[in-house]
Amino acid sequence: MSTELNIGELFAEQMDRVLSDSVSRELLISVENGQSADTLWNTLEELGFLLALVDEENGGSGLGWEDVEPTLRCCGRHGAPVPLPETLLANWVLAASGLALPTGLVTVSPALYQLDGNDKLHGGDSGVTWAPLCENIVAIAKRDANRYVCLLSQEQCQVEPQETLTREPTGALDLVGVTPSAIAEAPRTIGGLGLLPYLASLRSVQIGGALEELLSLCVEYANTREQFGRPIGKFQAIQHAIAELASQTAAAQVAGQYACRQIDADNAERGGMIAKIRAGQAAGRGAEIAHQVFGAIGFTDEHSLHYLTRRLWQWRCDAGSEFWWSERLGQKTIAAGADGLWPSIAGPTELRKTHALR
Amino acid sequence: MAQSFKFNPLQIPDELTPLRMEVRSFLLDASSDWSGWDLGHSWTCFNREFSREVGKRGWIGMTWPEQYGGHDRSALERFVVIEEMLAAGAPVGAHWIGDRQSGPLLLRIGTEEQRQRILPMIVRGDAAFCVGLSEPGSGSDLASIRSHADKVDGGWRLNGRKIWTTYAHLSDFMMGLFRSDRSKERHAGLSQFLIDIHSSGIEVRPIADLTGEAHFNEVLFEDVFVPDNMLLGSEGNGWQQVTSELTFERSQPDRFMSCFPLLPLSIDALQNNEDRLACRQIGQSLSELVVLREMSLSILGQLEQGQTPSQEAALVKELGNSYEQRTPNMVRELFDTPAVMTRGDRFSELQAYLTQTVPSFSLRGGTREILRGIIAKGLGL
Ligand SMILES: Cc1cc2nc3c(=O)[nH]c(=O)nc-3n(C[C@H](O)[C@H](O)[C@H](O)COP(=O)(O)OP(=O)(O)OC[C@H]3O[C@@H](n4cnc5c(N)ncnc54)[C@H](O)[C@@H]3O)c2cc1C
Repeated sequence: MSTELNIGELFAEQMDRVLSDSVSRELLISVENGQSADTLWNTLEELGFLLALVDEENGGSGLGWEDVEPTLRCCGRHGAPVPLPETLLANWVLAASGLALPTGLVTVSPALYQLDGNDKLHGGDSGVTWAPLCENIVAIAKRDANRYVCLLSQEQCQVEPQETLTREPTGALDLVGVTPSAIAEAPRTIGGLGLLPYLASLRSVQIGGALEELLSLCVEYANTREQFGRPIGKFQAIQHAIAELASQTAAAQVAGQYACRQIDADNAERGGMIAKIRAGQAAGRGAEIAHQVFGAIGFTDEHSLHYLTRRLWQWRCDAGSEFWWSERLGQKTIAAGADGLWPSIAGPTELRKTHALR
Repeated sequence: MAQSFKFNPLQIPDELTPLRMEVRSFLLDASSDWSGWDLGHSWTCFNREFSREVGKRGWIGMTWPEQYGGHDRSALERFVVIEEMLAAGAPVGAHWIGDRQSGPLLLRIGTEEQRQRILPMIVRGDAAFCVGLSEPGSGSDLASIRSHADKVDGGWRLNGRKIWTTYAHLSDFMMGLFRSDRSKERHAGLSQFLIDIHSSGIEVRPIADLTGEAHFNEVLFEDVFVPDNMLLGSEGNGWQQVTSELTFERSQPDRFMSCFPLLPLSIDALQNNEDRLACRQIGQSLSELVVLREMSLSILGQLEQGQTPSQEAALVKELGNSYEQRTPNMVRELFDTPAVMTRGDRFSELQAYLTQTVPSFSLRGGTREILRGIIAKGLGL
């Protein structure tokens, strides 16, 4: 366990160095204008990040989700303008279902599609982040009681560009009889919600990272911006607001870790659900506090604060909002009855399943 | 900038399931006649008989060495037991402070004689403790206390007043903070004493709280003699001792589970209810609880490794108190029942009790404002 954690932290440190060197305001703007961050992407590919979750036989690093959590959080902290989290997920599920890994940018559509008797795909997704830039898209489709992992060539899909809060290239998919370039039965661990809980987990971890950065920006600003002859950080109202930001940050990070551990324990839906509710809440409150601390300057285009806060507002909605997930969790919890509540928190629930996907 | 807090995960291994099930089945039997009012008190419900039963089963002082009557079990085993107790709303108040604070403090800084004498009594559920910190003029600003201890032959003579002392009228011992050197100011010159609450010169005056119950007290000291061997830790070191004690206190599940029994009762009342907003409320509450529990476990792991996660503990108390404080209002939003307490109806009594009690959650053990101040300082503000 401890050695695994070290690998995870080493990965994150390396990621931090790469992103510190390359994520600039110029890069963020160019991505918002529809360019892809090719140099950064190539570096990440060369360093083996894209295959972190893929097992060693397939050329990957064989890490678990808990191991890559610090790396994903680091991406959130820098607002990395690349589909790295999506690619990690895509490659993980492709490799686990025995499909060849594509080269180039790949993203995931978390919607659940229908596969017809002729292996053609039907269904839609209102917003797939990075779809306009990616050569390939991974999605899960149902046919009868079975679920399939499908690799789609972006060229064959109707990608309708969408504007989002992050302004990262995003597109809606409306698939009517599209033939996937590869299909395989989905790993048993992929449940009825397809990739949604996984993407929800990724977004939760990214939220924890973005909040971490907001927190450190707020502390720094409060210690330097002076009003009434002293740093605003000397005012208790500001101190307390930032303390609350810290507590929301901590909760979001723990939620993200929890989600990753639950994926490793083959319990992705519960992890993603709990994490996305908590992180979604934290995202909103955190962004609100940070803007209050920064005053008017934080409200300008020129200031970099909005690259984080717009992401927080986007990510809390992506892959199921805190409202959507809490309704689902509540339904399940009520259905399990009063006696089921405490065991669902502290155990024992049914016997732990084995690691199906490591 | 490096983050000022960290929360590495700690997981409860499956091997502890039998212990959990044992506690759960004990509580199932014991709980049949607990009223809703009792459930609401839980870790502040003083019931010595119950504590002795818990002691008999080896669930007090679990992690303490066997030589002091303890059970040499792991901190995780203890965590399992206490969270089961809190989930059930068990009346653990008579041994809670001893198990959570006083015993561990004695193990860290007590003399061999103190440990041998006191710890076995706590373990059996025979010794109950109260905490004498606050004074009429000193609440949040604890370092301003004026009650003092003067050195006399063979011991100390205590004078002054403590207030808000929970269960002083039912306890056996007070862990009291006094100014032992009046020439020093603020944090210096404070010492902790283990005081037999029945010593002559002590007068305990119950104070009714807003629910009508007298659970806390004013405690007057008039020339109370405390022998040398009841000094706790070292003279003049009281401030450090008390603050490290608070770190232990701030991160445990009693800081976010005080309203937990409302949740299963709510779920019961929501059966066959399709209301989407009700589902959301339940889902949201559960998600917060699960994350707080993860945080609390993480802190446990850090304490076990000999670290002092004060910042993390303050974060958990801050988040936990706010969370538990919101629960009765959530219940009100879910059911919007009239503010009438139906005696004998568990849910109704529990809701009535907790509605009135939650304001104290962000006062006791350090107010929200004080905790936010600690967090801000830890962040470098
Ligand atoms: C149910 C209950 C049980 C208790 N049990 C015990 C016990 O067993 N033993 C014991 O010793 N004490 C006990 N206490 C007392 C508790 O520790 C104090 O209430 C607490 O420390 C606050 O002190 P105070 O009530 O005097 O409020 P004050 O310190 O007077 O505070 C009043 C308000 O001012 C705020 N405030 C104070 N200083 C600052 C500051 N620097 N910055 C910003 N805001 C500030 C506080 O946060 C609070 O909102 C108990 C209290 C309660 C409610």
